[in-house]
Amino acid sequence: MTEKKYDEDVSLLENKKVNEKYFKLAFRSKSLSQNIKPGQFLQVRVNQGQDPFLRRPFSYFRVSPGKVEILYEVLGRGTRILSGKKKGDVLRVMGPLGNSFTGKLGKKKRILVAGGVGVPPLVFLAGKYPTEYLLIGTKSKAELMPKSELKKVRAKVLCSTEDGSYGTKGRVTLLLEKILKGRHPGEFFIQTCGPKPMMESVITIAAKYGIEGEASWDESMACGVGACLGCMVKTKDGLKRACADGPVFKFKDLKL
Amino acid sequence: MKIDLTTKIKNLVLKNPITVASGTFGTTDEYAGYVDPKKLGAIITKTITVKPRAGNPMPRICETSAGMLNAIGLQNKGLEDFIEHKIPYFKKLGVPLIVSIAGESAEEFGKLAKTFDGMKDVVKALEVNLSCPNVETGGVNFMKKQERILDAVKAVRDQTGLLAFAKISPELGDVLEIAGKVIGQGMDGISLINTLRGMAVDLRTRSSRIAKDFGGLSGPAIKPVALRYVYQVKKELQVPVIASGGISNAQDALEFLIVGADLLAIGTANFVEPQATLQILKGVETFCRKEKIRYLGDLRGSYRPAAEKGEGCNR
Repeated sequence: MTEKKYDEDVSLLENKKVNEKYFKLAFRSKSLSQNIKPGQFLQVRVNQGQDPFLRRPFSYFRVSPGKVEILYEVLGRGTRILSGKKKGDVLRVMGPLGNSFTGKLGKKKRILVAGGVGVPPLVFLAGKYPTEYLLIGTKSKAELMPKSELKKVRAKVLCSTEDGSYGTKGRVTLLLEKILKGRHPGEFFIQTCGPKPMMESVITIAAKYGIEGEASWDESMACGVGACLGCMVKTKDGLKRACADGPVFKFKDLKL
Repeated sequence: MKIDLTTKIKNLVLKNPITVASGTFGTTDEYAGYVDPKKLGAIITKTITVKPRAGNPMPRICETSAGMLNAIGLQNKGLEDFIEHKIPYFKKLGVPLIVSIAGESAEEFGKLAKTFDGMKDVVKALEVNLSCPNVETGGVNFMKKQERILDAVKAVRDQTGLLAFAKISPELGDVLEIAGKVIGQGMDGISLINTLRGMAVDLRTRSSRIAKDFGGLSGPAIKPVALRYVYQVKKELQVPVIASGGISNAQDALEFLIVGADLLAIGTANFVEPQATLQILKGVETFCRKEKIRYLGDLRGSYRPAAEKGEGCNR
């Protein structure tokens, strides 16, 4: 049977800038808040006109009963328009879309490696399931997620900045290598979301240590439901749709 | 007031004129969670080729003003897979199916036509895709040689008595001339337009925003062009027309009906509003009710040419 999907008009509870990088948007939706899992996404129509035309995909950041929050970066025209929305404005959103990260890992310890727009969904995951490490990489301190947004996260949170303005200087994969060195690979499971070069090097490191994991791998999307075949991902089992078969893929299935 | 939306094209009777443009409604049930496909007048499939096609590299799509460019490249799992895995779904669904076909040669067009000719319980018509901008052999460049178009439609006609529509676009050359010729070769109608080739440049890389230099432009941006061709073909040739090209709301749909479109294929709008088809259907009914049009056929083709409009119209 086809999974029940929602496409509804929601009223904004808040939409504000939280730091140099992120805006946080919250809206009320009983149906969405009850059904979404970390790693899934929603498609937001930023206005009612025909320009910009397509919806924009966003990962969920956090859900609480009846309420959904997304954390987003202003990256282009669509997100700029979105950032101008006010409390009480109505947006059309559809979801939950795509598959999700594995929640229960058994005895394995979860390491999350996040960068850029990949941070919010992994914070959602870390808030929901036991997590050993949450590694966050950004360009500088100004772009780090505010500490107040990490309250629910029980994991050890380690940060790296490329300019060294906060945490370890360098790329987030340095932190990952440090943790893995000398440890038994079988005890860990890595989940990653962020820029492709970052995820590629996470996957390379994981392969080196023989660790399994999952990456949220997306491409430019139009429909978000698997119809247009715009967002294909190369896997060992042929081309898969990031929006409908993913966005979460096992490291071992991805063909980089 | 009940509006009679029945749409007849030769021996094909559809409960309404709303369908989906090829490649914009998934391969089977991708939209079934959002919209009841049983309410559509017909479904046009994603283009099927004889052999599986992997399509083009990523990125395949990018948004443009009031539309998008795509270079999917006819990705599909091929004829065998379609028959084995997709036909049973459509058979169960029971909505009249129009299968979009594309070949790399006249022989392939013929083979596809022959195969679907044997499935008349499910397949009610063929749309012969002669105008994909994103593939080499069989695509719009290839088909610029008119004899290739004519060979392809002849091969289809030789193999099937199914209703067949030739999907053409201005990229192929003179639309009216080509439409006339394919009708002369036995096509039952014309489907127009396909996407128009366009491009978009990334300022940082100074290269295309998709993996090919050109992609097919679709969406509201191309609607006026599509409307004009539908009007001209209806006026000059009086043949059945499946209209597509940026139809996004009831206003658009009604414009196409007024210039004479028989079927309205909703395309890129599905990507934005999964319920676009049924919203449009409802909007068309509302308009008819307001205008006291009981039978949609009375609205179809009621366009008044500018020259005949005379006084009393301030535009």
